[in-house]
Amino acid sequence: MKRIPARFAVILSASALALAACSSDSATEPETEATTDGPVTVQLLTHDSFALSEDVIAEFEDTSGIDIELVSGGDAGSMVAGAILAAGAPTADVMFGVDNTLITRALDEGVFEPYTSPEAESLRPDLADQTFDGLVTPIDFGDVCINIDDTWFEAEGIAPPTTLDDLADPTYSGLLVVQDPGTSSPGLAFLLSTVARYGDEWPDYWQRLKDNDVAVAGSWSDAYYGDFTFGGGGDRPIVVSYATSPPAEIVYAEGEPPETVSTSSMDDGCYRQIEYAGILAGSDNVAAAQQVVDWLLSVPVQEDIPLNMFVFPARADIPLPEVFIEFAGQVDDPEQLPADYVAENVEGLLTEWGSVMGR
Amino acid sequence: MPALFLLAFLAIPLTALGRQIISPGTAGYLLEPLPWRVAGLAAAQALVSTALALAIGLPMANVLTRYRFWGRRWALALATVPFVLPTVVVALAFRALLGGSLGSGFAIVVLAHAYLNLAVVVRIVGARWITIDPRMELTARSLGAGPWTAFRTVTLSALRPAIASAAAIVFVFSFTSLGVVLLIGDSSTRTLESLVLRQTSILLDFQAAAVSAAIQALVVGSVLVWAARQRALQRGGSARPMRLIRPRGRSRWAVGVVATAAALIVLAPVLALVWASLRSSSGWTLAWWSGLFGPNTIDAGSTRIGSPLSAMARSLIFALATGLVAAVVGGLAAVSVLTGRIGRAFAIATALPLGISAATLGLGTLLAYGRPPLDLRATGLLVPIAHALIAVPLVVAVATPTLRATDPRLVTVAANLGARPTRAWWTGYGPAMRTVMVAAGGLACAVSLGEFGAASFLARADGPTVPLVIARLLGRPGEASFGVAAALAVVLVIMTTTLVAAVDRGGRRT
Repeated sequence: MKRIPARFAVILSASALALAACSSDSATEPETEATTDGPVTVQLLTHDSFALSEDVIAEFEDTSGIDIELVSGGDAGSMVAGAILAAGAPTADVMFGVDNTLITRALDEGVFEPYTSPEAESLRPDLADQTFDGLVTPIDFGDVCINIDDTWFEAEGIAPPTTLDDLADPTYSGLLVVQDPGTSSPGLAFLLSTVARYGDEWPDYWQRLKDNDVAVAGSWSDAYYGDFTFGGGGDRPIVVSYATSPPAEIVYAEGEPPETVSTSSMDDGCYRQIEYAGILAGSDNVAAAQQVVDWLLSVPVQEDIPLNMFVFPARADIPLPEVFIEFAGQVDDPEQLPADYVAENVEGLLTEWGSVMGR
Repeated sequence: MPALFLLAFLAIPLTALGRQIISPGTAGYLLEPLPWRVAGLAAAQALVSTALALAIGLPMANVLTRYRFWGRRWALALATVPFVLPTVVVALAFRALLGGSLGSGFAIVVLAHAYLNLAVVVRIVGARWITIDPRMELTARSLGAGPWTAFRTVTLSALRPAIASAAAIVFVFSFTSLGVVLLIGDSSTRTLESLVLRQTSILLDFQAAAVSAAIQALVVGSVLVWAARQRALQRGGSARPMRLIRPRGRSRWAVGVVATAAALIVLAPVLALVWASLRSSSGWTLAWWSGLFGPNTIDAGSTRIGSPLSAMARSLIFALATGLVAAVVGGLAAVSVLTGRIGRAFAIATALPLGISAATLGLGTLLAYGRPPLDLRATGLLVPIAHALIAVPLVVAVATPTLRATDPRLVTVAANLGARPTRAWWTGYGPAMRTVMVAAGGLACAVSLGEFGAASFLARADGPTVPLVIARLLGRPGEASFGVAAALAVVLVIMTTTLVAAVDRGGRRT
């Protein structure tokens, strides 16, 4: 450092000042400072699939006097990891989007502050008791299901599969693509659904899938857009995706929404993922944070959830959008495993899956 | 100042993370065989990736930085493109190009890594190559050396430190690769980085993750020390950029062939993207482009994706800020390398972020600066800072070989002729500084434009960068999602090429 001449140092400090000036510019934006007399700011920590309509958020901010600042925690797993590491001195006030495969560890680490929302009265009966002793509130759920390219099966003159067992049938050899459960959330959900269905025999089922030439992709995007016949230019007409992928195809089509869609969701062997919201222990804004949890479970947000996040609302009294009724998989009897069983066994399951599949 | 920067944004976050995780039992995880096995796999993969990147990149560096031909500057900027493409886009483009012939696995991962890192080789080696006087080789020839011997003894030996720098960085990037490995890899291409991700975000086993991350940092550190040693061998030579050579006769052919091949290699995946952005199930369409720029942009009124236009503006600002910070911090670090042993140790420390996974860095930064008493997230500074951390090692790698090649006696001579110390230093090192800082700044901008991992932790949820928007689009079904993502990726390519070309041009004019 000794040999850096003075003039160079002047240039440097000038640029440092310029940088500092930029930063103070952006720091003076109104939403950054929450003062006691102004509106309260609640930081809502979410994963990167979170979405709501802007006007739904604006209306809440107008009526409640609470400003919502969305804070991204990366994908769901990274978000929960961050919350656990910051337990007690949180990086936000409310966390939304922790699901039933990850929640046990977060509960064990004391991430949440108990709160039972009055809106919880309106939860679907099957979700009403899913609050882990009043620590979290279910907000939405989605089903990871096998998706089928019906057009492909029609063209080939083959009947599409309808059960998990069918997938191991030689008729469907080389047609299925799944995701690696060690790197992909739907991949893990599909593995858990086979564990829930076949119990201790699940490795045999995967051996049969392997013998039937199943393809394993690293991520949902790669499977859906790379291998699946419908999404991109792939050569496999069966893929692990979501019950709501077919309606999403309608909503995100080119130009005018088409009347029908050529993919469908198989009703058998779906795994249910429930997403929860909870107040982070150590938050300074508990009262306002409670209002935000109430709002997440209120009718306007719950009605807004399906077409923004392509999952189902947790309230019982929300009419579903037309495309959901017509094209989403309606799963009455999803596969599920207890959250604490998943937490205890997931590492062993992944290791065994790896040795069965040779990965 | 670079020391303060590193302390504030590297040491403090890592300490904050370490305090949460490390316990006396952690060391026991070192005995687990899994991380070591993965480290072996990753090292083998990274070696092959590096060899391939050098094999393709060195001829490109030669032609693009030394010869004068039409479109050279754009070609040089274009060579940076692979480096900034979001990995998910590269992965899909490669699959589209190579079809099922390679499938997932070792071959396609190695190809993708070589492709992604071409810019590293071209920029780092090119910055040195341009300063080698071609007459030296001619002199060797006239003294009776054959063409190969002349090349080997003169050019290659002068280039060796730069090649070592580039190879080390390509190795480190391939060794710590995440996106490519997750998307198109299989069990033969696992990296410690992917193991860390699984351990942190699926198993929530932080102690095991800390051990994996430590092993990775150890390997990366050793490679960087090796590269620094190679650089230390550099002696003498001029650091002034030579005049470009006008190719004649046989070399005209060689230049043409290499330039064309380079253009094809770089452009093929880009063309695949352009094609995807113009196709729908019903044929050719402009719908995806109007979905990007038109009044009814995709997802208007929802926080789903965020406006693509504002993401572009945001990415551009982040990139310029990153370029500035990284050039200043990295430049100072490179200069301090010249000052002896402490300086060298310090330069190695600046390279450490290369070995630290994005998840680790992101979580650490979050713990240190993402909550009271110091919450910097709303200032929007965290993303450029993280990007600068990632870019500084590249700046150092670009700058050091050339600075070291500058004859320190120039400073002494200038001082003896009566220049004050500042003036003397600038006379000696100024021209070289300017060339390398511009090259390095361009590379840093490119890093920021394409970076995904750290940004996904640190960007505001309602303020995503372009790669984040692309990833969000590709994370859901629907023709429009894929089409608009492809169009946006093309925009990212154009942004990068323009920015890098502009920086290069600005550098030449001064």
